[in-house]
Amino acid sequence: MRNYNILITGVGGQGLLTLGSIIGVSCTIRGIDVSVAEVHGMSQRGGSVVVYVRIGQEPGPITPVGGVDHVLALELLEAARYIHYAKRGAHVTVNDFVWPPPLSVHPSRDQLIGELRARDIKLHVVEANEMSEKVLGSPISSNIAILGYALAVDKTLRDLLTLEAVEKALEEHFKGRALELNKLLLKRAYEEGLKSEQCSS
Amino acid sequence: MNYLREHPLLRPRGSRVLLLGNEAIARGALEAGMCFATAYPGTPSTEIVEVLSEVARECSVYAEWSVNEKVAFEAAYSAAIAGVRSLTAMKHVGLNVAADILMSSAYAGVEEGFVVVTADDPSAHSSQNEQDNRWYGLLAHLPVLEPSSAREAYKLVKEAFNLSTRYKIPVIFRSTTRISHTRMPVELEDDVPLNKKCKGTFTRDYERWVLVPVHTRRRKPELIKTWKALSEEERFVTAHNPGKEKVIVSSGLAHSYVREVLEALNMLDRVTLVKVNMPVPLPRKPLLSVLEHAKEILVVEELDPVVEMQLKDLVVTSGYRVAVRGKDLVPENYELTPEAVYRAVAKFIGVEEKVPWEGLEPVKLDPPIPPRPPVLCTGCPHRSTYYALKVAANRAGIRDVIYTGDIGCYTLGYQKPFETQMTCFEMGGSIGVAHGLAKVTNSALIAVIGDSTFFHAGIPPALNVVYNNSSVLVLVLDNISTAMTGHQPHPGTGVTAMSEPTTRIMPETVLSALGFKVYTVYPLDVKKAIEDFTKALEDYKRGEKVAIVSRMRCALEVLRDARRRGVVLPIYTVLEEKCTGCMACVKLTACPAIIVEPGSKKPRIERALCAGCGLCAAICPYKAIVIANKPSEDWVKVWTSL
Repeated sequence: MRNYNILITGVGGQGLLTLGSIIGVSCTIRGIDVSVAEVHGMSQRGGSVVVYVRIGQEPGPITPVGGVDHVLALELLEAARYIHYAKRGAHVTVNDFVWPPPLSVHPSRDQLIGELRARDIKLHVVEANEMSEKVLGSPISSNIAILGYALAVDKTLRDLLTLEAVEKALEEHFKGRALELNKLLLKRAYEEGLKSEQCSS
Repeated sequence: MNYLREHPLLRPRGSRVLLLGNEAIARGALEAGMCFATAYPGTPSTEIVEVLSEVARECSVYAEWSVNEKVAFEAAYSAAIAGVRSLTAMKHVGLNVAADILMSSAYAGVEEGFVVVTADDPSAHSSQNEQDNRWYGLLAHLPVLEPSSAREAYKLVKEAFNLSTRYKIPVIFRSTTRISHTRMPVELEDDVPLNKKCKGTFTRDYERWVLVPVHTRRRKPELIKTWKALSEEERFVTAHNPGKEKVIVSSGLAHSYVREVLEALNMLDRVTLVKVNMPVPLPRKPLLSVLEHAKEILVVEELDPVVEMQLKDLVVTSGYRVAVRGKDLVPENYELTPEAVYRAVAKFIGVEEKVPWEGLEPVKLDPPIPPRPPVLCTGCPHRSTYYALKVAANRAGIRDVIYTGDIGCYTLGYQKPFETQMTCFEMGGSIGVAHGLAKVTNSALIAVIGDSTFFHAGIPPALNVVYNNSSVLVLVLDNISTAMTGHQPHPGTGVTAMSEPTTRIMPETVLSALGFKVYTVYPLDVKKAIEDFTKALEDYKRGEKVAIVSRMRCALEVLRDARRRGVVLPIYTVLEEKCTGCMACVKLTACPAIIVEPGSKKPRIERALCAGCGLCAAICPYKAIVIANKPSEDWVKVWTSL
């Protein structure tokens, strides 16, 4: 099987490792080989974080620049910082959220989206913080919203993971009310993604 | 760790489970009958003993957070000399702390399997250097095993225990960040055994355990004999497609990249691919048989040329005419990437060096994308401490201060606006370095050290400050946790790794026994903290031996506990009409929750990010920052008590 590579990026603390692990568990449930490479410790304290997810047989842990099929970004500056990892025609699902580093001068949201749009990618700008807030009362699960949306717009990813396996993977990461709400958020974000697909096609 | 239904380490044989490399190492050790595990937390090694401590009771094994790596090594080594299989895990620089006993342990050996896991950090993602600990094997005459993936780590650690038992010596197991912190599905081959040896006996063998010179000189030839026997081991080298003139030898993780690159080049069958899982000592026989047919060899390994140098030695002594390439083509610094390995392999094989993956054009904007180094979290107690401390130093009239620093989240205080970490070398270094600088400069010296780091290596240098009489103020930042590695308990928390209550040792008690006049400061109340810091600094200025403990819980733990207990913490907001746009809150806190939108002249506080520490409100000269919600009555308690 051809490898399928996902790059997860955002700001340390946004739930990037959880997102990587949920995708990893989904693959494991599906019986597909996967490798999820994280970085812990110092790099997590509000720093720029990258998680390499490689689906397919026994690749090395790091994806080469230009090898990524789908970028899942929880923040716009980080999406722009790592966009060169994407292949031509790759999906980029990005949270419509700019979280500037403290004391920094930075490009605006529109500048960033404009730059991303100028590239040969399938760009999906998602209000993931808002979706999470509507369901959970805080942006804490923007990662789940991004995943739900990505599954709707990227058929290859959906066929690999399946919505059912992702729901099961959520059961391994959350319990009680948090599980219920995250399942609901996954579904809502998925439906939003399907709607946007229908509009664009 | 997140698996709530059933811990991944407890799943039965035959299960296929997604394991982090460190979890895979822990599970492998359990299957091997290991019963005693020790560590001091350090990225990227932490989760090994962390997950073992989570399942210790169910598996009837013992796990502890030791005070430092030397003590951890001593404890686990002792279990093995008494016949109990044991493991100690540490980050690469941790092994420096334990190096003394490591060297001696090779001479005395063990009675049962003893595995020393060293998790190296190429690219120094979370470390002060990127040393290659395979050298320790050559230095100590101990074997080093190295897996090529997280999955292989699970199998290889079991082999490590068997090797250790067979040769009766410690075995070094070298992982790296990309092994330890990569998740892969692992097929579980065995259950965790119910019956294992957890009680041992100590044989009073003076010639073996008492390394006085006469005994040491008797042990050394034995050690060399074992070393030679180890280099005749054959099982840790495999050759794919043997007999080719071009040979690529790869050790550990490098192997997975080499294979990927050869597949991308469609060249897998053109070369002999040798995979090494025991880089030290390099097994002679399988490599000699490779040399027989080889004309040219490329060695691909992460960091230093450990295999390359041994292989060159083998070429010279065996008399084969083979060219050995390595660090002339493969970078010696930073972790390997598919691109770096591609360029080396392509050049070696003699094909186009341009990588086959084509990335998109990087984003270039004006203003450019700003760098995003790690920063202190919102609500971090260190931010409040650093602010109050600097204001107090000014008030006490202490202008020329050298703030020496240490290892932990608080190291981030080197950044603006705090600049209260001016050195950072190793654990405990803040105090020893301050002592030396106090002796040779006229500056005031404030040594800043975290609670866990203080217990780890801060006590002897603090004692030295008093004994050798230097003008150093010791500041212990006590967030009641080993925060940076994920909130492990330590002697100041009153809890053990296995969640058992134990004697709580306050840094104040230790410091006062060492001869310091100790102040305790609570920076959640910023104004009071400034007053208390000022008093302490005035005493210091008068020449007294002063230590300060600044105590406030880690904000990440506070937020978690508040959520769990249903406590509403304050959330602050900027009153538009009162704010003059002076930016004091932005410039003096660098808090990630305070955001200035492009084009705006006034800051705003991102509600979802505010942790409610109140530092910005205490700083605002116009009282324009106020609480925006209705916090619970007893919210302060979450910040102050466990």
